[in-house]
Amino acid sequence: MGFSVSGSAALVFVAAFIGLGMFYTATANTFENINDARDSQAERSLERTNTAISLTDVTYNQTANSLNLTLVNDGSTELGISSIDVLANNSYLTGYRTAAGGDEATDLWLPEERLVVNATGVTQDPGRVTVVTGHGISATETTTVVS
Amino acid sequence: MASVSASHLILFIASMMIAASVAGVFTNSIGQLSGAISEQGLDVSSDVRTDIEIISDSGSDAIYDSAGNGNITLYVKNTGSEDLAVDTGQLDVFVDGAFVSDFEITRADGSGSWRPGTVVRIEISRPLSPGDHRVQVTVNGDEEVFEFRT
Repeated sequence: MGFSVSGSAALVFVAAFIGLGMFYTATANTFENINDARDSQAERSLERTNTAISLTDVTYNQTANSLNLTLVNDGSTELGISSIDVLANNSYLTGYRTAAGGDEATDLWLPEERLVVNATGVTQDPGRVTVVTGHGISATETTTVVS
Repeated sequence: MASVSASHLILFIASMMIAASVAGVFTNSIGQLSGAISEQGLDVSSDVRTDIEIISDSGSDAIYDSAGNGNITLYVKNTGSEDLAVDTGQLDVFVDGAFVSDFEITRADGSGSWRPGTVVRIEISRPLSPGDHRVQVTVNGDEEVFEFRT
C-alpha cells in the first residue's frame, strides 16, 4: 500500500508542478502584455497633454490656387510633420510642402517653432482649414482670401 | 503470501492508473485555462493599444452630401499604437443610434493597413434630414462620437 500511495502522490505532484508552471507562464506573459499596453497608453496620454498647436495664418491665394498655412507648436513636445493631417473643408489634402523653422527637409516640428504648409492645386477657397497632429490634437481656422 | 503480493500489485497498478488519469485531466484543464488567459491578455492589450480620433471638421458644411450622393464623409485617425485593418468588419458605425452596415472605408493618405498616425476615410451611405446628427464609430471597444449639423 505504501508504494501505491507514494507513487500516486508523486504523479499528482508532478502534474501539479507542470500545471502551475504552465499557468505561471501564461499569466506572467498576459500581465506583461497588458502592462506594456498600459505604459504605451500612458505615454501617449502624456504626449497628448503636452501637445498644443495654433493656426496663426490661413491664406488662400486665388490667383495661384494655393493654400498657405502658418502654425506654431505651442506645446512642449516635438511633433512629427509626416503624421500631420490637413483638412480643407473636410477634404483631405496630400502632396503639400512643409517647412519647420525654414527647413523643408526636416520631419521634426519642435516646440515654439513655426511650421509653414503650402498646398497647391486648391481650385477654390475651402473656407475653413483643420490641421491635426499625430496625437489627434487639432486646430481649425477660417481662410483669408488674397489674390 | 503470493496472493497478497498479487493483490498489492493490482492495487498499485489501479492507483497509478487513477493518479495518471487525475494528473492528465489536471494538466489538460490547466493548459486550456492558460491558453484562454493568454488570448484574453492579447485581446485586452489590443483594446488598450487601440485609440482612434474622428478628425473631421464638424463645422464644415461638407460632412454630409459633399459629393452629392447623400453620404456622410468622416476622416478617422489611428492615434493609438495598434495596427488596424482597413476593413468594414473592423468598425461598428451607428448614425443617430441606428446601426449602419452600408459604409465604405479607404485609406485617405496612402495604401496598406491602418497604421498608427494614418487616416482612413469612411463613406456612410445614410440619408439624413436637416438638423443635428451624431455618428458613433467603435473600434476594438474604443468609441468615438462625432456630432454635426446638416
